[in-house]
Amino acid sequence: MIRTMGRKRVVAAASMVAGLSLLVAGCSNGDGEETDSTNSPDSSAAAEGAKTDRELVVWAGATKPINQTFNPFSPQVQHVALGGIYQTLYYYNKAGSGDPMSLLGESFEWNDDGTELTITIREGVTWNDGEPFTTDDVIYSFTNDIAGPAYISGAEAPDDTTVVLSFDEPQYTNEFSLLGSTYMVPAHIWEDLEEDPIEWGNLEPVGTGPYTVNSISDEALTVVANPDYWGGEANVTNVRYVGVDDNAAAQDLLMSGKIDWVGMFIPQPDPVTDLGIGYINTPQDPTVMYTCSNADLGCEGDQTDVAVRQALNLAIDRTEIKDKAFVGLTGDVSPTFALLGRDDKWISPDVPAESPQTANIEEAQAILEEAGYTMGDDGIYEKDGDPIEMTLSSVDGWTDYNNAAKLIEEQAAAAGMTVTAATVSWNEFAEGRSAGDYELIMGGVIGTSVPDPFQIYKDWMGGDSTTPVGTPLEPGFWNFSRYDNDIVDEQIEVAAGTLDEATKMDAYAAIQEEITRDLPYIPIVINATQTFYNQTDYTGWPTEDDLYAFPPAWGAGASGVVLHSLGGTE
Amino acid sequence: MRYIARRLVIYAITLWAAISLNFLLPRLLPGNPADIMIAKLSRRGDVSDAQLESIRRLFGNPDASLWQQYLDYWGQLFQGDLGTSVQFYPSSVSSLIGSALPWSIGLVGVATVLSFIIGISLGMFAGWKRGTWVDHIVPSTTLLQSLPYFWVAMVLIYFFARENEWFPRTDGYDIWTFNNTEWSWAFAGSVIYHGILPAITIIISSVGGWLLGMRNMMVSTMGEDYVVTAEAKGLKKGRIMRTYGARNAMLPSIAGIGVSLGFVVSGFVVMEQVFSYPGIGKLMIEGVEGNDYALMQGVFLVITLTVLAAMFITDLVYGLIDPRARQNA
Repeated sequence: MIRTMGRKRVVAAASMVAGLSLLVAGCSNGDGEETDSTNSPDSSAAAEGAKTDRELVVWAGATKPINQTFNPFSPQVQHVALGGIYQTLYYYNKAGSGDPMSLLGESFEWNDDGTELTITIREGVTWNDGEPFTTDDVIYSFTNDIAGPAYISGAEAPDDTTVVLSFDEPQYTNEFSLLGSTYMVPAHIWEDLEEDPIEWGNLEPVGTGPYTVNSISDEALTVVANPDYWGGEANVTNVRYVGVDDNAAAQDLLMSGKIDWVGMFIPQPDPVTDLGIGYINTPQDPTVMYTCSNADLGCEGDQTDVAVRQALNLAIDRTEIKDKAFVGLTGDVSPTFALLGRDDKWISPDVPAESPQTANIEEAQAILEEAGYTMGDDGIYEKDGDPIEMTLSSVDGWTDYNNAAKLIEEQAAAAGMTVTAATVSWNEFAEGRSAGDYELIMGGVIGTSVPDPFQIYKDWMGGDSTTPVGTPLEPGFWNFSRYDNDIVDEQIEVAAGTLDEATKMDAYAAIQEEITRDLPYIPIVINATQTFYNQTDYTGWPTEDDLYAFPPAWGAGASGVVLHSLGGTE
Repeated sequence: MRYIARRLVIYAITLWAAISLNFLLPRLLPGNPADIMIAKLSRRGDVSDAQLESIRRLFGNPDASLWQQYLDYWGQLFQGDLGTSVQFYPSSVSSLIGSALPWSIGLVGVATVLSFIIGISLGMFAGWKRGTWVDHIVPSTTLLQSLPYFWVAMVLIYFFARENEWFPRTDGYDIWTFNNTEWSWAFAGSVIYHGILPAITIIISSVGGWLLGMRNMMVSTMGEDYVVTAEAKGLKKGRIMRTYGARNAMLPSIAGIGVSLGFVVSGFVVMEQVFSYPGIGKLMIEGVEGNDYALMQGVFLVITLTVLAAMFITDLVYGLIDPRARQNA
């Protein structure tokens, strides 16, 4: 139900993305076409808010002692640095399907074969130390040792506002990575560092964003509005990011009005919203069963047989799981891993758009029987005297996953397969999936940051992103399933080399054909992503009607956009 | 002197074993820091390429052999370098422990001493008044003793921080008002105010043990001949209770406080977790969850050293107050 409501509104909201009054100037898409801002009736949301010095208190998930670093290259960087202090060239709204929002980039254009990206940067931007933002900074940000991707073969600035990145191969699919997640850092500071930039704490960050750092301690940090921000000084001038150790404490603080903005899971949101606290749920990331699927790479267990995976997929009653384990807050999942509602256009008409929502035991059993399994005396299917037995692990304490695993255990038993739900420690989970030492795991897939499922195909199912069982995956490899399919790999190449939608759709159709049959990950639901916010004292929050940015406080990049759009209600 | 020298040798051996175990145990945990960090980041989506590259460079599996790592570890220890935390990068382990230790020692130390004094005094009184109405109260304190820490903490939070917002729910000071720790009366007041509920938790759950032990020792001491003699001499009641009874009855409890002060540093892990109190116990949990070898080693080392030091001091003090210990050692 949530899903269907969301779908209409996401589309409506997408057209309003451009409506952010302050940011709209000069916003243009890849073809240089001006975005029409007149069709955004609600665009005044940001302008409505008044200047306020009431301190906005945010919990972005930091636990205490908080990591003392604003280094955008550090994995433990404080959330406010990404978007609030450092900015990317564009902001890609993962909650909508509109064009990217212009930040430090004014326009960009690919050449015909995808080997050159021409970027025009925003003029008149200064770093918060007073130095101007120039093409040198952009080139440094793209070519430094840490963030600079290996596939960039050249970066030049033909004039003061243009940067041309060149590549040896088409890089269309890295558009988000280049424009949406590479943070611009000042060359005049980073080039002359005496220490290794990775190890630098950067406690007085020099950025272009709407906020600057005021103080930091083990427990909290404060930022203040940057008066010289190119988009205009933010209305909310004081923001405090606090460290809180667990959700229970955070919920208490939220309900007593001590925290104004938080993105976290609260299974029963009603008592919170009854207090007048704003709430939005934007499901993004699929919850799946990882299956160690590939016997050729060393996977062991019955789930290496595709028939077993197919039968399991059909035996699962997703409606029951959603209602009982996830308290009805999740979205419905597509076996193509396209996000329903946002990525609908990429779903091939030849495959089912949604995973089956109810169990179909007869069909599941038919598949097993066709594959040569026979029902044993104990009601469990077996082949050559070997019954179907698998262990489904989930991290101890992730109660929603633990409960889902138990439901799957019952549902699989009803269809004639033994799935044993087991809980493991966080460490065992991380090691097991990385080394391929598991049969089934309840786990998550990272939803894509752009309205296109490509990144999941490439990173989670591409043969290049995996290693044999026993060899841990490198950081940045996500193919825990050890899935390796030549057709998929070939079509990933094809899709990566084109901007043409029809070609891409054909490639995706071929990939979807393979993965909906092979099911390297058995999709369960789309995780809830809940955000709670103080709507009494502040206005301008992303809402279902105006989902201009991804709402949770921890959203990289998005949180800066949201902060700058807020204002006081009085 | 020989007594002290002997103890020192035993402590040195214990220390070596403890430090070696500190080194080995974290490495027996499954997983490595990089995997865990990526798994954590990916729960939130949005892991940028730059961050992955940093993780690969900074926290990937160390290439050195276990033996080499062990030697390096000793080398670093002698230089006072505890390494850099993975979980709280880029903070050094020494600075993390340095900022957590005062909170644990301050809160748990004060609460333990208070609990000891209250328990001993009440126990002395209860032992003195044996066979009267006071005996009926003693069982109720053992009931308190049997309540788990976290449960007491949660009940207190529920009634005094959630339903009635009389006391703060989390933290060691008001992080909404103060940007950092500072020396001022207002800050000190905030620290005390934030310490009240956690301290009450500790006192409620530990006072019963002291009380009961003291009371029972007191009762048996009061039956000793020298007490009867003192009474026969017509000494004042108060003098008999304190000088003849309590002084002797306290001996086992003194041995106990040495050990329990050692555990002060381990910070009543659960209590700190429930109250989000910025002490050593919470640091330890975070370290274990993140497979943060350096942090775990550092925290365990501090705990080990403190327990050993506390036991050593107790040994010395015990030798002083009870001559029998010196003779038999």
